[in-house]
Amino acid sequence: MSRQLRNRLFLLVSSGAVLLCTAILLFLFSVITWNGINALSPSFLLTASRSFGAEGGIFYQILGSLLMVLTAALICLPLALGAAIYKSEYLKNARLQKASAILIYGLNGIPSVIFGIFGLILFVNILNTGISWFVGAIILAIMMLPTVVLATFQAMNSIPEIYRESARALGLNHWQVVTGVLLPQGFAGAITGLLLGLARAIGETAPIMFIATAFSGIEIPHALNEPVTALPTHILALAQQATDPRALQNAWGASFVLIGLVTLFSITGLISRTKFKTVSQR
Amino acid sequence: MVMSASARVGKSYVFMSIIISTAIILLILTFLLINSWQAISEIGWGVFSSEWHPAAGKFGILAMIYGSVAVMIIALTIAIPLGIMTAVFTAEVLPAKYRFYVKSMLELLAGIPSIIYGLIGIVFLSVWIEDFFALQSGRTILAGGILLAIMVLPTVITLSDDALHNVPAKYREAARGLGLYPYEVLKSAVLPHAVNDIAGALLLALGRVLGETMAVMLVIGSIDRIPVPFLNTLLPGQTITSKLGREIAETAFGSLEFSALIFMGLLLLVFVLAFTILAQTFFYQPEQRLYE
Amino acid sequence: MRNLFLFFFSIILLFSCSESKVVKIAGSSTVLPVISQAAEQFRLKHPNIRIIVNAGGSGVGVNQIGEGKLDIGMISRELAQSEIDRYPNTAFQTHDIGRDAVVPVVSSEIYDAGIQALTLAQIGDIYKGDIRNWQALSGPDREILVLDKESSRGTRHVFMSAVFNDKNAAAPGADLVLGSNNEEQTAIVQSDGAIGMLSHAWFNADVKGLSIILADNKAISPTLENIRSSAFPIVRALSLVTNGQPEGDVKLFIDFLLSDTGQQIVEDNGYVRIR
Repeated sequence: MSRQLRNRLFLLVSSGAVLLCTAILLFLFSVITWNGINALSPSFLLTASRSFGAEGGIFYQILGSLLMVLTAALICLPLALGAAIYKSEYLKNARLQKASAILIYGLNGIPSVIFGIFGLILFVNILNTGISWFVGAIILAIMMLPTVVLATFQAMNSIPEIYRESARALGLNHWQVVTGVLLPQGFAGAITGLLLGLARAIGETAPIMFIATAFSGIEIPHALNEPVTALPTHILALAQQATDPRALQNAWGASFVLIGLVTLFSITGLISRTKFKTVSQR
Repeated sequence: MVMSASARVGKSYVFMSIIISTAIILLILTFLLINSWQAISEIGWGVFSSEWHPAAGKFGILAMIYGSVAVMIIALTIAIPLGIMTAVFTAEVLPAKYRFYVKSMLELLAGIPSIIYGLIGIVFLSVWIEDFFALQSGRTILAGGILLAIMVLPTVITLSDDALHNVPAKYREAARGLGLYPYEVLKSAVLPHAVNDIAGALLLALGRVLGETMAVMLVIGSIDRIPVPFLNTLLPGQTITSKLGREIAETAFGSLEFSALIFMGLLLLVFVLAFTILAQTFFYQPEQRLYE
Repeated sequence: MRNLFLFFFSIILLFSCSESKVVKIAGSSTVLPVISQAAEQFRLKHPNIRIIVNAGGSGVGVNQIGEGKLDIGMISRELAQSEIDRYPNTAFQTHDIGRDAVVPVVSSEIYDAGIQALTLAQIGDIYKGDIRNWQALSGPDREILVLDKESSRGTRHVFMSAVFNDKNAAAPGADLVLGSNNEEQTAIVQSDGAIGMLSHAWFNADVKGLSIILADNKAISPTLENIRSSAFPIVRALSLVTNGQPEGDVKLFIDFLLSDTGQQIVEDNGYVRIR
């Protein structure tokens, strides 16, 4: 085969792959958007669901999902800030650095269903909390933790050494340097991490379906140990009755809203990442 | 220098934070190990048999292992060549100014929750497979594998694209200077430098495919059986994750069946963690970036 | 961002303080629609009692009552002795609220092609894997898609007891295993050669219930009258299970289900009322 022919073949195969990927992408977007927009209406967003979700809307599912992930963010934030400060300021031993990195980032690779099982064993069964939205929030907080720790740590690490030195020169002790110089920078990083973590957490089904959600009768939980309804588990219930056109339409509507929320969180996260980068490079 | 009170409280707070953060993963492993102990001690090697029938005291998990491995192989066979070829295009052929849009698109695509892939799988993919192969039901191992391939594709593309993009421009320029065709530039100058990162990316994709639950659970048919003939993926099956997703909440806590299910979870976790840690230890600097 | 957190946190606090009572219910997906609808109506009469309903299957209903996580479990089969033994500290009490039949159902294409009644032995052969094509039952030449259910499902226990005399019988002929009635119904609609087991409330244009041919060659169809009179061979009670005598809100809700309004809901959902 001549060189030129081989090169042509390569370009052909490569563009074929691109075309196929683009086709898949277009299919996914158009299916979700087209079906989703057809299902959307103000009343769909603002009313409770009825009769297995085939009728009514998804108001409490939206609220429940938001409640759970925002509480998860609240739980995650202080932990991630503390861990990142310790990693960046106190953990100087290279081996321990490496070990802590593997342990924290290893958490990121754990399959989501395992988190659900962990919550089921520890909280629902051993601590006997029952099905509880708050347990769901704790588990989602654990899932978000690596992302937030990493973002915070990177933000703190990107602070030029000169800042620390000048703070030291002003007579600040180590802890004052931490709170005065690192924390503000780290906080910006943590918010970026949180937004990206939220984008992932709000779409998760497997971690919460055993431990946090119930089928019906939920509006807003009145206590920590009550279940909640959420968008992903609602879509799961609707997907199982996909031949009922009303249920299917509501499933597309709920999917569209869920993707909207995911996109909202990730785009805000990406904006916050770029904004924050320019600050640290000043 | 005497530490102030706030510094002491602060220091113990950050210390506690790092301890908790690092201990969680160990805690998860410990809980799975404790809860699968009953199965390990009472069933022993019997778990590696092919029949799962709790009422008759049979807890064989081979069918689930087969399913997990089968969907993984199908998914990667589709996603790896397709993903890498596409990445070659976005990194080497596509003008740089479009790269940002492609990357953002991929990031968006990677963010689609798996339950929505499950919905698409049950409404479209499984029906297409049913019609195309004239099957009685499209809920098959093949459907699970294809769906996983689509799900993991954005990750494979974006990581391979990064790997190629990170190869310093001077290698490309030198190769082009010799008058090589783009294909030859790629093969002789770019790929050798990117191959390590691409391998890491594939390991991460592997871990992700193995651990995916919701989409697979809806389309695979959930029958605990190894297909006959062995390689017929047009039959329904079961993966470890779909088994756990369907049955763990319905099984009495503390029963032998519960323990056997947890053992499967432990097995899954150990393999996925091994891939993830391998990828991050040998192929990436873990501090650089988190790949999901 | 911080304001958003504060806002949500204050909502949570606000609601945690308000006084309200909760009845937690979970279990059989067969009983679920009745309870779910009854809960909506009950709420109108007793706005301060909230009823949370969850699915999962009969096994879940029993286990979670045993583990003290529920106030009421929903079951669509009888309690097993093994379950009573597993939770020695729980005084299980069942309360029947309606009657139902578990019916062998087929895709409408099969029903229309002439297969409208089978014997229990034929059904057993299908689930054992001995009959794999509808032709063997003088139907069309089409493979049978055999649908099984998850092992904790009450519908499966009742069905397998009737067909194999063993509620936990294995079904080596099965092709797919499904969970809730909705999921099984969907799989039957999507196929043109399926057989499955469903409560007769889940029939529709694509899901047809078969008559069962008895030993005397009489075919009994799954009609409301035949279920009421127990002439149909696979009938069952739909029940609630509690730990001890129900009291307070739990009693109030069970009494509501047994009232005329409650029984009307049972009937509206396609089951047979018991009062």
